[in-house]
Amino acid sequence: MIDLTSSILAEAAAASGKPELALFGAMIGCAVIIIGAAFGIALIGSKAVESIARQPEAGGRISMTMIIAGALIEGVTFFALLVCFLAVFWLRG
Amino acid sequence: MSIIRLHSAVLAGFNPLEPVVSVPLFRISVGGWQIPVSNHMFVVTMGAVLLVIGIPLIMRTKRMVAAGYLQNLIESICVYLREEVAKPVMGMAGDRYIGFVWTVFFFVLTLNLLGMVPTEKIIMLLTGRENRLGGPATANIWITGAMAAVTFFMTHITGIREQGLWRYIVNFAPPVPWWMIPLIYFLEIIGAFVKPFVLAIRLFANMIAGHMILATFIGLIFILKSYGAVALSMTFAVGQSFLELFVAFLQAFIFTFLSALYIGSSIQAEH
Repeated sequence: MIDLTSSILAEAAAASGKPELALFGAMIGCAVIIIGAAFGIALIGSKAVESIARQPEAGGRISMTMIIAGALIEGVTFFALLVCFLAVFWLRG
Repeated sequence: MSIIRLHSAVLAGFNPLEPVVSVPLFRISVGGWQIPVSNHMFVVTMGAVLLVIGIPLIMRTKRMVAAGYLQNLIESICVYLREEVAKPVMGMAGDRYIGFVWTVFFFVLTLNLLGMVPTEKIIMLLTGRENRLGGPATANIWITGAMAAVTFFMTHITGIREQGLWRYIVNFAPPVPWWMIPLIYFLEIIGAFVKPFVLAIRLFANMIAGHMILATFIGLIFILKSYGAVALSMTFAVGQSFLELFVAFLQAFIFTFLSALYIGSSIQAEH
């Protein structure tokens, strides 16, 4: 796997010009976005589970709220991921 | 599976977007214009015909207790959307717009699920002709953008109709100290355009990501050309298909819930 990554990057660097830096930046951007989204959704999930443990009869409403908040965070995440994706396809020429 | 083969395969140019994008099937000439009809438009038509013909056919017995499991299923979905989604966010005026909420949910759900049905392969098996008469319709930003535009117009038109134009414009911003009103108003105006945009992007990105992953798994079989790849790829493809079924229902529900939320917050003045 590391051989694969380094060989791809070496071929990218061999081709002259700037657009490969855009690819590199977009990939790093994707990884950072996923870290933020996973952190946010994990926080919501853990708080929801704690609240259900404190008050089990509110379990239905709490889990519904958790799903909705998770979908909202995912919406923003996919928006940013699409921007990274566009950076790959637009700046590659 | 050697690293060298995977290396050359990745640079071989397999495009995972290819089964997902819309391709024009034929063109209609209207006046001086050429209007292309794509396979996603065909799937939207198929879904609309399915719903317009199917749902009244299913819900034909009008008794107090629903008859048959399909009618029971659709009625329990409608009751759930009315009690848990429309009533909490839209209040007592929610019953006027419940038709819109039900329509949005069933339409988005049908388009999402039709994207999981391989209609072009079924037609090829039945008739023996290669065709592109299927595809994930909601994996198209124009279709989800159109639905988000419908939500946008519905939000503001219902708000103006319920409250009157002047009161709607005045109540656009929540009550804040007087010196913050210009900034809050500006942010609310931006939010009014960003919210439907993110609604469209959320549905579009979820659907296209799921189908792209599925296409990548299946494409790995063609690139690697070995039986081990078939076993592994099909296992992951089945798992991904289950996840996509869940995401289809979830994203339909989220789209409906957020549409109802936006309409509800524009009907009720923020007092």
